[in-house]
Amino acid sequence: MNLSRSSSSDLILDVDHVWKVYCRNLKRAMWYGLKDVGREIIGGGRDRSHHNLRLGEFFAVKDASFQVRRGECLAMIGPNGAGKSTMLKMINGLIKPNSGSIKISGQIGALIELGTGFNPILSGQENIYINGAVLGMRKREVDGLMEKIVEFAELGHVINDPIKTYSSGMRVRLGFSIAANLRPELLLMDEVLAVGDVGFRMKCFTHLNELVKQGVSIVLVTHAVGMLQRVATRSVVFGQGKIVHDGDLETGCTIYEEMLGASDRVRAKNKEESGRIGEIGSVEVCNEGMEPQAEFETGETIRLRIQINAREEIKDARLIVALCSPVHGVLGSVSTPYQGIQFDVDPPGRVITLEIPKIPFLIGAYHFNISLFGREKVDFYHRSSLRGVFRIVGPPTDADGYGINGITKLQHSWKING
Amino acid sequence: METEFEKSKSYGKGEQPLVVARRSPGESGDVNSDVAEEIGHSLGEVTVYSAQSSIRNPVQLVQDIFSDFWQGRELAWRLFLRNIRGLYRQTLLGLFWAFLPPIANTAIWIFLRQANVFSMGDTQVDGTVYILTGMILWQAFIDAFQMPLAMLNKNRNLISKLNFPRESLILVGFGEVLFDLLIRLLLLVPAFLIFQVPLHTSILYAPIAILGLVLIGAALGLLLMPIGSLYQDVGRFISMVLPFWMIITPIIYVPLTTYPGSLLNWINPASPLLLLARDWLLLGTTTHFAVGMVFAVAAIPISLIALVVYRVSLPVLIERMTA
Repeated sequence: MNLSRSSSSDLILDVDHVWKVYCRNLKRAMWYGLKDVGREIIGGGRDRSHHNLRLGEFFAVKDASFQVRRGECLAMIGPNGAGKSTMLKMINGLIKPNSGSIKISGQIGALIELGTGFNPILSGQENIYINGAVLGMRKREVDGLMEKIVEFAELGHVINDPIKTYSSGMRVRLGFSIAANLRPELLLMDEVLAVGDVGFRMKCFTHLNELVKQGVSIVLVTHAVGMLQRVATRSVVFGQGKIVHDGDLETGCTIYEEMLGASDRVRAKNKEESGRIGEIGSVEVCNEGMEPQAEFETGETIRLRIQINAREEIKDARLIVALCSPVHGVLGSVSTPYQGIQFDVDPPGRVITLEIPKIPFLIGAYHFNISLFGREKVDFYHRSSLRGVFRIVGPPTDADGYGINGITKLQHSWKING
Repeated sequence: METEFEKSKSYGKGEQPLVVARRSPGESGDVNSDVAEEIGHSLGEVTVYSAQSSIRNPVQLVQDIFSDFWQGRELAWRLFLRNIRGLYRQTLLGLFWAFLPPIANTAIWIFLRQANVFSMGDTQVDGTVYILTGMILWQAFIDAFQMPLAMLNKNRNLISKLNFPRESLILVGFGEVLFDLLIRLLLLVPAFLIFQVPLHTSILYAPIAILGLVLIGAALGLLLMPIGSLYQDVGRFISMVLPFWMIITPIIYVPLTTYPGSLLNWINPASPLLLLARDWLLLGTTTHFAVGMVFAVAAIPISLIALVVYRVSLPVLIERMTA
């Protein structure tokens, strides 16, 4: 846990060894629910940590602990079903932990879903009052904020029309605008960053950054890790209910991307058949000196050592290697014929090395998809996905417009004219 | 464990605290006083969520329930207005839909009685007014009885995504039941005139019995809500049983006075207060005062228990709503 941060900042949220049990079987979940209600009523809520599970239950969150301080923006990331949203719901007090405790100091504002509680028949303005009341605002306070909310949502021209005449983007803008103008001490957001058009999204980021500067703490859940750098200052990565990383954002994103790759890798492995004539064997990512290495800096040289196994002779073999990112897909693909390389593979096989000098990619996780063909298009032998996983760990990128950002480092030069 | 909540002195640059409403969910009873003291917050707003059942601290729990009723009053009012406005905005007949069910029901039973299908007994006032009044009161009772589950189902989205004073939903539901009841009671004005029913001063007490009737209906419905939310069987069962329930309630006939039929006036929770209310509205005298008042007084602790059950069971129900 990261307690080394400035101790002068206040602790807003303290999640302490929290466990949460779920049940996937519907019938059983209902029955357990009835029993749990009964248990709550007689006051016998029992501690359900460790291995105290009933049939069909599993831990959605396992022994999670982390803290959030004033003015911190924490991103909870992880694959689907890793427990992020469950955690957020517990922080919001919608559901109870089965063990452990969550302490929150101050008022919570939550944007689990934008525009929850809108009534389509009523006007935008009427809905602002209702939504404000749901979020805990008095009429007087909404009155004071009305102009700001409408202006931020850019809906001044239609605010007296029924919401059902709004486009989905307009509704989302209104929802965000109401909740964001609340100024809670802790703002919870579940997948609401990817809303609206680019212009409005940028406005949201600016607004959130301002809130953070004013001392509001934010906990957000998202899959759009690419956007995180604009707001988040720290990340907690969930994997199968457990916190696998609590610390800086870059490392967190990289670990997350690698986890995405890992789950794909398991899937790919399951699909594999045996008994091929030729196949891709071991694949190793190495540095210039051909030593295996998993972490690189942008601009370094990467060598990919590919073992091809063959049971029979493969004439005029073709190798196609695609460099991919779990988030962005294929970044570039090369083949042996492109550079006029001709080779045969005799049993038991041979090794081919691909060199990528001065890798242009920025911080993130990457891997290769490798295919083995013969001379003709139909001479397919083997395709192997998610091989040779490696990470680019530096230099740091900057989303605020003072450095470089994106997935590749562009070769460039500036010139001031006039 | 290190707890290092520290004093929070301000909201940042000149920011005013807008709302300092502690959003306590079902388990809010566990506002841990040790922690609160340790923190010594200028805001005093520390919420603790843990596995412990809030029923362990009943005084705090009841305080929280009432505080959330208070916190949620404005929200309840807004939602009430929203529902009422939304309800009739997309209809042709508008408010007429509120009048229709008791009129239709009364018409059916009057028709059957004139066909001599059943006998009502000595109603002391015109049979039509007698049935109509009974129908209006019965409708209010079952509306209240079905309200909690209907309210929960209607607001599933809101409840499962936002933490707000959920007691306000009960206020809204209760308000809607009373609103419909008031509109329907207007039907009695022409009915009294047409059938020349004399007015008695006891009409002034009738609201007590009517409120008790609605309260007990809502409390029973609220007690059934957790099971009903988990198992849809409950809702189906209720809609199947309602006609029978109506028959064993003395709406279309004079209450039975001989044993064992008279037992129904005691064990059917709808009967005593309905009878009392109707007697007060139509007759001026009543033989159901004692039973009715027992039920009216009992409605208060039952409602309180029902509110506790509602609050304590909600987090468990929410868990199963969204999965």
